[in-house]
Amino acid sequence: MYAYTDFDRQFVRARAAQFRDQLERNLAGTLSDDEFRPLRLQNGWYVQRHAPMLRVAVPYGVLSARQLRRLAEIARKWDRGYGHFTTRQNLQYNWIPLKDAADVMDALAEVDMHGIQTSGNCIRNITTDGLAGVAPDEIVDPRPYAEVLRQWSTLHPEFAFLPRKFKIAISGAAEDRAAIAWHDIGLQLRKNAAGQVGFQVLVGGGMGRTPITGQVIHDFLPWNQILVYLEAIVRVYNRYGRRDNMYKARIKILVKAEGQAFFDAVNTEFQQILSDDAGGHEHLIPQAELDRVAASFTPPAGVSALPAEDIFEGAQGDYKRWLERNVHAHRLSGYRGVTLSLKRAALPPGDITDAQMEAAAELAERFSQGELRVTHDQNLLLPWVRESDLAALYELAKAHGFATPNIGLLSDMIACPGGDFCALANARSIPVAAAITERFQDLDELYDIGDIDLHISGCINSCGHHHSGHIGILGVDKDGSEWYQITLGGSDGSTLSGTAVPGKVIGPSFAADEVPDVIESLIQTYRSQRAANERFIDTVRRVGLEPFKAPANAQRTLTATAAR
Amino acid sequence: MKFIDPHHDQWHRVVGEDGPKPDPDPAPHLLLTLEQWHAVRGHWPADLPTAVEVPNDAAIEDLAADLPRLALIVLQFPKWVDGRAYSQARLLRSRYRFAGEIRATGEVLVDMVLLAARTGFDAVQLRADQDVHAARRALSFFPGHYQGDTAQLKPHFAQQGG
Repeated sequence: MYAYTDFDRQFVRARAAQFRDQLERNLAGTLSDDEFRPLRLQNGWYVQRHAPMLRVAVPYGVLSARQLRRLAEIARKWDRGYGHFTTRQNLQYNWIPLKDAADVMDALAEVDMHGIQTSGNCIRNITTDGLAGVAPDEIVDPRPYAEVLRQWSTLHPEFAFLPRKFKIAISGAAEDRAAIAWHDIGLQLRKNAAGQVGFQVLVGGGMGRTPITGQVIHDFLPWNQILVYLEAIVRVYNRYGRRDNMYKARIKILVKAEGQAFFDAVNTEFQQILSDDAGGHEHLIPQAELDRVAASFTPPAGVSALPAEDIFEGAQGDYKRWLERNVHAHRLSGYRGVTLSLKRAALPPGDITDAQMEAAAELAERFSQGELRVTHDQNLLLPWVRESDLAALYELAKAHGFATPNIGLLSDMIACPGGDFCALANARSIPVAAAITERFQDLDELYDIGDIDLHISGCINSCGHHHSGHIGILGVDKDGSEWYQITLGGSDGSTLSGTAVPGKVIGPSFAADEVPDVIESLIQTYRSQRAANERFIDTVRRVGLEPFKAPANAQRTLTATAAR
Repeated sequence: MKFIDPHHDQWHRVVGEDGPKPDPDPAPHLLLTLEQWHAVRGHWPADLPTAVEVPNDAAIEDLAADLPRLALIVLQFPKWVDGRAYSQARLLRSRYRFAGEIRATGEVLVDMVLLAARTGFDAVQLRADQDVHAARRALSFFPGHYQGDTAQLKPHFAQQGG
C-alpha cells in the first residue's frame, strides 16, 4: 500500500492541529455551531441522532493491519466497541463525544489516517475495486492513480465549497466492481491499441431523488492529463452548478440541464488551462511521479507466483461453499483474494466489533502480508492469501464469525445505518436487514436463489444504494411512520447486473412488518418463473415487473387498504 | 494577506439615495459596481486608480479586457459556503494575469483565509465579528500543499525535493 512520506505525515498532523484549533474555538464560543458545521464535516464529523458520527477515510479501501488495530483501539476507548464499514469504503463510528474529537484525530494521524473530506460539499474519498491490484481481469492497476487523485483533491482550495458533495470512483478492470456510472465522475482505465494507458471519463451519475447514470464525456483521455481534466470539470461545476436548491445541486442536474453545452464548456476549459493558464502544465503528471507512487503498489516482498493448487480437492460442506463464494481468483498463480464476510445474523451489514477488528488484523498479518481491503459491498477482503493457507484461514475466519459463505448471495446485502443512527433517515434499515437475514438463514436456499444484489437505504439520500439493487428497499416517511418502497431490476453496472440503471417501483409502499414477506414472495416468483440457470436479475429483465406485483401485493396485511 | 479595516479603507463606493449612482463622476479610489463600471468604462480616465466589485455569478472573463485599467477587484461571498468566488479569483490570477489587488468581502470567516490566499486573493475584509489573530493562525498550519495554487504554481510532486 501507499507508503506515507514525511510530507504526507506532517500534512495529516497539520490537519489534526487545524481541526483542534477549530474545535477549541467552537467550544470557547467564538466559532458558532452553524459555522463550525461545514468545517467539522470536512473532517468527517457529523452530529447524528445520539451523538456525533465520525467517518474515517480509508483511501480507495486499502487498509493495513496496523491501521485496523488502531481503529479497534478507538472503538474501544472512545466509542462503544464497534464500527461500520460503508459502501464508499470508509469506516464510521457512532458514539464518540465531540469533545474528544481532536484527540481521536491525533490518534488517527499517528497511523497515517484522517477524516479529510469524508463529508461536506467537496471532493470525497475516491473509491475503487476491492480487488484492485490482484484481480485477474485487471487492465491497469487503479491504485496509483487513485492515490495521485487523492493527493490532488486533498484540501484543494478552489473546490472546498462546491454546490454539493462530489464523488469519484475508478475501475481498472474489465469488470466494474466500483459502480463507476453511479458517481459524479466515473473513471475507467483502459489501454489503447498502442498499449498506452488512458481514462474513459463518465460524468453526471448519482443516486438520490433523481437517479441518473453517468455519460461518457471523454472516451480516452491520456492518463497524465487526468488532473487537468478533473480541474476543468469541477471548475465548470463550481461556477455553474445550482446552489438555490440542495436537491438540484449535484453535477448530474447540471449535466442533464445543459447537455452538450456542459461537455463543450468542460472541453473548452480544459484547453484553456493548458494553453492560457500560468502553471497550466504543472498538473500534467510526470512519468516519474506515477512511478514514485506506483512503487508503493508492487506486490509485497515475499509474494511471488507459486504452483497453482486444486483448492477444491477434497473440499466439502460449508468449506467448499466458502471456497466458491468468498474466495476469489487472483492474477498471481498460487494466490487468492478472500472476503471476510461482515454479513451475518446478529450484526447489521458492515458492522464490526473491536475484537473482530483485532482478529481481522491478525488474519491479515498472518495470511495477507498485513493488508486488507474494505469493499464497496461492506465486507473486508484479504488480497494476498496463499492457496496453501486457505484451509487454515477458513478455520480462523469461522471462529471469528467472518466465514459465512454468502458473498454475492441474498444475505450479502448492502445497507446504510438507517434511522437507528442517522439523523437524515426516514426509516430504519437495520431491523429490516435483520429480519430478512433471519428469514434467509438456510444456506441451501440461499444457494438455490443464487447471485442477487439486495440494497437497503433508510432514505432517498441512497447511502444503501437501493437504486442499483436487483431488489431495492427504500425507507420513506408517511405521516410520521416508517414505510418501505420496493424496486426491482436496478443495476450497479457489473457484467452480472447489466448496464447501470435504477430499479423500478413495484407498487405502493409496504409496512416494515410486511417487507420480509414481500422479499420472500419476490424470490418465490423468481423461482417459479426462472429458466434453467437463470439468475434473478435476468428473470426480472425477461419477464418484467408484472408477474412479481400480484404475489407481492398479496403479502399486504397492514397496508391492504392503502394498496387499493 | 492584507486584512482590511473598513473604517480605514481608501476605496469608496459611489452611492446615492437610491443605491449605487448610475453614472458616477471620475475620481480616484472609487469602488464601482459592475453596472457602474459598464456605464462609465467608455469615457473613464485611464490614470485613475479604480476598483470594481464583481458578483460571484458574473462571468469574470467578460472583464478580461478591462483588467489593465483596474487596481482592485472585489469578489463577494454572500454566504461563506458559496465557493464560486474562489474560481473567479483563480481565473483572474492564472488565466488573465491580473496583478492588482483581489479582495474578498461579504461573509468572510477566519477559516476561509487560507483558501482565499491560495486562490489568488491578497486582501480580505473579515466579517466584523471575526478575530484577525485566529485568521493569521489559520494561514500557518500546513507545511505545504499537494496541488499547485496561484502562489505556488507547482504541485508538491513537481517541487524541489517533492
